[in-house]
Amino acid sequence: MTCTSRVLPVLAICAATFAALRAVAPAAEPAAVSPAELLKESLQAPHTVSYVGQVENVRFSSNRATATIVKIEHRAPSLTRRWFVAPEALYGDYVITHGPATYQFDTKRERLTVSHTRTSEEQLSPLDDFSEVMNNYRALYDGAETVANRSTMSVVLINRYTGERAVRLWIDRDTHLVLKREEYHANGSVAAQTRFEEVRYTGSIPDGIFSTEMPSGYEQVAGRSAVTPSADIDATIKTAGFSPYRPDDLPQGFAIKSADVTTVNGVRTLHLLYSDGLRSISLFENDANAAADFGALRPKTTHFEGHSADYIEDGPTTLLTWKEHGLAFALVGDLLLPELVEIAKSVVP
Amino acid sequence: MNDHLSTDLLVDYVHGELAPSDDARAHAHLAACAACREAYDLETTLSEALRSAAKAEELELPSLVTAAVWDRIRHARPGPAARLAAWLRPAFAVPVAAAIVIGAYFVSPLAHPARPTIDAAYYLEAHAADSAQTPLSERASSIVLETSMLGTAATAEAGSDGFAATGAADDVH
Repeated sequence: MTCTSRVLPVLAICAATFAALRAVAPAAEPAAVSPAELLKESLQAPHTVSYVGQVENVRFSSNRATATIVKIEHRAPSLTRRWFVAPEALYGDYVITHGPATYQFDTKRERLTVSHTRTSEEQLSPLDDFSEVMNNYRALYDGAETVANRSTMSVVLINRYTGERAVRLWIDRDTHLVLKREEYHANGSVAAQTRFEEVRYTGSIPDGIFSTEMPSGYEQVAGRSAVTPSADIDATIKTAGFSPYRPDDLPQGFAIKSADVTTVNGVRTLHLLYSDGLRSISLFENDANAAADFGALRPKTTHFEGHSADYIEDGPTTLLTWKEHGLAFALVGDLLLPELVEIAKSVVP
Repeated sequence: MNDHLSTDLLVDYVHGELAPSDDARAHAHLAACAACREAYDLETTLSEALRSAAKAEELELPSLVTAAVWDRIRHARPGPAARLAAWLRPAFAVPVAAAIVIGAYFVSPLAHPARPTIDAAYYLEAHAADSAQTPLSERASSIVLETSMLGTAATAEAGSDGFAATGAADDVH
């Protein structure tokens, strides 16, 4: 037997062993891709991955937390049903989404609310927005962890201007589905957390699960309906019928994204939306002296530059309202009150 | 005091309007000065004559008539009309009318035209809906839920215009 004839079987065994190891390894090795690439793939995952599971969402305000638990069934690319398990007030209610259409079934009041977001053709490209996110945030791997018995890679987004951690995502190594997500305030505290308690990937979800047929005795009402975006924000602002103000002091990276004028309770209301790709701030204004009606909510009062302003917290979202220069303003954002007040100060110079 | 009392000083003395020290000096002078004493007597006579003349012009009612008038006043009870008339006297009527008018001003919808308000839930939901368009926002995440604590949204009228304007909103969980 020659040397070659002795080496060949060894090489063959090594090659077979290597191939076998490759076969049992995860399909995608996160370390082989950049965290930004993994993040981008996670955006597309719901379009290709079907699953059932249970999800818990907790939103934190400064002095309380609200939790919601839903059972979820999702069939790629665009059918989703969510059954509310908690809180008690929502128990039994369910929401079905068919692409841009959302059907909310209120089982207690026997009411179906149908609303529409933008169609896929009208939606801004997620990848365009993703580029903006990457312009303002740096993605870093933050270790591996098991979530809902699934192996995940954690990616954290760091604000490029402040160095603050904004969001942390736990992404399934195999499917790239986001299984857990935490959003943080500027002071480092958790603003919101969403995570799968359990998840099972399956494509065999019966069609009936996603049926939007209205049960007998239900009343159907119209919900929100988006309209085609206008390319000219300045032209839209002019239709408000008054001279609006815009904030001068926004956090770095924020830019105006949209403007709309809507008649609410007979009042023409201008809505300016600002975003840095990840976080959003809305400024509403009207010249009808129409104050915010907080209803059963109990707003708190704060003061800045001689103005008395009311505010409430809805989880991590803060709503601040005040009047100035003959206009009524409302500022909304997933920001702490002091941050929102600083922006409010810059609205009217 | 060798000088005679002046007429003004004498008149004031008669009417008791002098300071105590001046009154004492005038009294001492009158006791020693006959001329001033004569002037004093004349002055007091004139004052008494004027007082008597004034009294003579006063009308005195018979005592029975006066008693009857006082008796009516003490026992008189005003009737409904009299009581109403009393309320209509300016001293009462003006403040009461002012209070009614002011009260009506604050209560009347005319004085306070109903100012429109915007439901706070509308602001939160409009913000949530539009911010969900960003792919990495919490609300856009594949595992995100609708969790507004507010329950019911304000109603927005249809007919909005512009970018991402929204129509009616109702019952968003």
